[in-house]
Amino acid sequence: MKARHITIIAKKEFRGLYSEKTILLAVLLQLFIALFSSFLMVGLTSMYDPTSLSKYSHFRYDIAYAGNESPLLGDLENSQDFRVHRMDLSTAVELLKERRLAAVVYAPGTLPDADEPVKLTLYTLADDLQGAVVDVKLKDVFLKYEEDLRESRAGRLDITPLSVLIPTSSGSTSFFEFVYGLLIPLLVFMPGIISAALIIDLITEEYQHETLETLVSTPVTFAEMVWGKVLACVLLVPLQAGAWIILLAANGIAIENPVLIVLHVTLASFLLILIGAMVALHYRERTAAQFVFSTALVVILLLVLALPDNPLNLIARLSVGTAGVEQWIVLGAVMLAVSALGYVMQKYAGRAGRDLHAG
Amino acid sequence: MSAGRDIATIARWEGKKSFSMLSRDVLPIAVILFVLLIIVTGFAAQSGLHIQDGMYRIGVDNPQVAALFASDARFTVYESDAASLTANRGAYDLIIVNGQAYASPTDKGKSALNTLERDYTKYVNGVYTGENDLFAAYPLWIDAQTVKSELNFTAPGNGQFVPAPSVRGPPVPQGPVENVPTPSPTLGVTKDELRQELVTLSSQNTQVSRYTDVLSPQQSAMGTFVTPDQLSPPLPFDSIILVFVFIFPLYFTSQFFMMSIMNERIERKGEVLLSLPVKTSSIIIGKMLPYFLSMLAICAAITIYIRASPLILLPLIPIIFFFLANALIIGMLARSFKELSFISIFFSTVATSYLFFPSIFANVHVISLISPLTLIVLTLQGTAWTAADFVYSTALFWLTGAVLFYIAARNFNEERLFSEKKFLPRMREFLAGIIQYRHPYASLFLLAAFSIPFVFMAQMMGLVLFFNLPMPLSLVLLLILAAFIEEAAKAAGIYTLFMQHPEFFSWKHLAGACAATAIGFLVGEKFLLFATLAEITESVFGSVLFSSLGVLWMPLLLHFACILMVASSLKVWGRKALVPGLLAATALHCCYNLYLILGWLR
Repeated sequence: MKARHITIIAKKEFRGLYSEKTILLAVLLQLFIALFSSFLMVGLTSMYDPTSLSKYSHFRYDIAYAGNESPLLGDLENSQDFRVHRMDLSTAVELLKERRLAAVVYAPGTLPDADEPVKLTLYTLADDLQGAVVDVKLKDVFLKYEEDLRESRAGRLDITPLSVLIPTSSGSTSFFEFVYGLLIPLLVFMPGIISAALIIDLITEEYQHETLETLVSTPVTFAEMVWGKVLACVLLVPLQAGAWIILLAANGIAIENPVLIVLHVTLASFLLILIGAMVALHYRERTAAQFVFSTALVVILLLVLALPDNPLNLIARLSVGTAGVEQWIVLGAVMLAVSALGYVMQKYAGRAGRDLHAG
Repeated sequence: MSAGRDIATIARWEGKKSFSMLSRDVLPIAVILFVLLIIVTGFAAQSGLHIQDGMYRIGVDNPQVAALFASDARFTVYESDAASLTANRGAYDLIIVNGQAYASPTDKGKSALNTLERDYTKYVNGVYTGENDLFAAYPLWIDAQTVKSELNFTAPGNGQFVPAPSVRGPPVPQGPVENVPTPSPTLGVTKDELRQELVTLSSQNTQVSRYTDVLSPQQSAMGTFVTPDQLSPPLPFDSIILVFVFIFPLYFTSQFFMMSIMNERIERKGEVLLSLPVKTSSIIIGKMLPYFLSMLAICAAITIYIRASPLILLPLIPIIFFFLANALIIGMLARSFKELSFISIFFSTVATSYLFFPSIFANVHVISLISPLTLIVLTLQGTAWTAADFVYSTALFWLTGAVLFYIAARNFNEERLFSEKKFLPRMREFLAGIIQYRHPYASLFLLAAFSIPFVFMAQMMGLVLFFNLPMPLSLVLLLILAAFIEEAAKAAGIYTLFMQHPEFFSWKHLAGACAATAIGFLVGEKFLLFATLAEITESVFGSVLFSSLGVLWMPLLLHFACILMVASSLKVWGRKALVPGLLAATALHCCYNLYLILGWLR
């Protein structure tokens, strides 16, 4: 094994990637998804979190109140989000159909401390964006009303739950868990998966295009050639993962511990790349190798996700700054696995190389 | 031999070839992996997915409260006395002291508070469900009724939401008022049934049931009754499960077709096939057929498994067709395996987003109908859709698929398949393959007309991308993107012809070519618009995308002027001038559109 030979092969693969320009597609893809993540932030949160919508426009929705007097009417009128009109139910529903009202609430004459529950009827528009937003805003008012009703019936309750007073939160936060707990780990790991698919392409290509003879007739051994390709693929991972982190930061998603995240991703991806390389050496044919590898990948990812303190979880935690010592243990374990698998691959590639010389 | 028999023979070969290859080497491993997958899925279902574990640090002074929140893996709970918790507030995202929660003023702190609130509500609901007097614990029930109303897309300003009227005083209905019966004040469901339902609802893992509910919506015993806490609009990400269930297997299978085409090209293996006395279209259809059938079989199997209506298959067929057409083109274009991988990953991401993002709005917005996935969502919910909806959401898939197949068939020959040129020149060659040099104007006319479905698809993609940005920004971006896409599509034909036969472009011919392209583009645009896209074209966004609809001569002149700019810059400064020419044309196009819209807004 000569380091120089490995770097020569790695350089050759980089040149190939560069001259084909298809790596640009991968970069384009990143930009494309990054654009979507801003779509997710601005679009979806404004739709489903009314507090963030109010950042863009402060809108008072016209709603109708029909039926009997109740404390709910006062709650609705006090709310900043609604302009309440009292009218009879049929007129109100017609106005709703004409989209001149956002919702209609009908209240029955049930007394607050009656045995029966208070049954409100809420009419909203089906298949409508505004209906969804109004739903969320009405929910707050209803929850308060429910609390008041509970209060007046409190004497009839026989269990009291533990009391935790939670201040009403402000600002949009509902997407925080989605972004940090799902989007970032998956996006940052995507380069690893792409690189693992790439190593299969690089190795099977040599077999299928019958270019191996020329390669092994040079001083480079077969194992060195495989390691060179692996090196090229591994080096791509931190580049792409780093690009992700920068793109996300440009989108206003600040990520803590970027260097550690890249380190974790690179090592874990190394494992995937080694697995991909061995599958490719075994099948020597792209269709079969890619099929087996992608099926195996699903199994591996599912297994890893089901384990506590898995690398994806660590990335989520690192990105929000709550990772503890356990990250070093996991990092060590991954490193051990890489060296073990690397040893196996060295042996395997050596045998495959001897087959080649013999055949 | 008849074409039908040819196709059947080739399909049999292809099926045998790929199946025998797979069964010999891959089947044993695939079976093992499948068994492993089932085991791992069981394990994962039991242990849960640990991806958000320990995201928040919280400090609690009461052991009972600590136990309450420790069950949520997202929290790492530290117990300490009130004084030291308050002193070290900075170390925690959230502290609970004397029954009062204080969050740190960061996004993370707020998010922790949100999660805490949800957990606490769940706990309180759990306690209340056990109450003897259920109606004291749950005193308020809401009967959520929805009213159908057609979205009035022609009103100005529509796109994001319908503004309610801002007049003072109560509005008065314009139409006749139908009598709505007064709702009964009682629930009509017994207390025990309600309690039972509340217990099942609270024991459900909402993270999982949300997604399974998308596949098989369940009728709850409570009917339309909900407690205020259960009142929630449909969640936006739920239809992603459909992508995993239906679209990924299709994408996966189309990979085999892609690879089979690629394999014919390696070491000129496909020469045998090409030398057969068979039409190229028969070869392509024959090679495609086994994959088409197996994709259909996979979809049917999934449909039966989730016990859905077979109607689901209808919107899936154009998706399959579209995927296969793209697989064919990609298989023919890629020079190496890695190029194949990158292009197919890129294609699948773009196609998946095109399918998925509109379907987020399935119940919310008419725009969602541009994705066939929405039809699947609607079918699963039991909502009927019309033949017009089907045409509307699948027309672009049929058309682009057909055009791609035509291009592939024209180029399925030795010269193209075994050429070693770079990617972009190859694309140009493919286009050149369908341009008949003897009839340049007719070719350019047809090429421009048939580029329309692609233009629309790209523009729809832009619409999806920018739809939810704040209003002026989304319009401006869409304006620029739409103009650029149109200009690029128009330039494709002229550029190809220019590269193949630069001598053809005398100024007279150049004007003729531009006119042919402009007319072709206009005809295609008109034709497709009136056929399918009426709903979108009438919105503000539509007017940005397709503003050139009003009078005929104005858009024609615009198309002609823009393409003339590109063509002349090509002629004067050579091929390097393509991009500047395109940008200049885009700028002109934008100005025109802006003028129209501003006039229109006034």
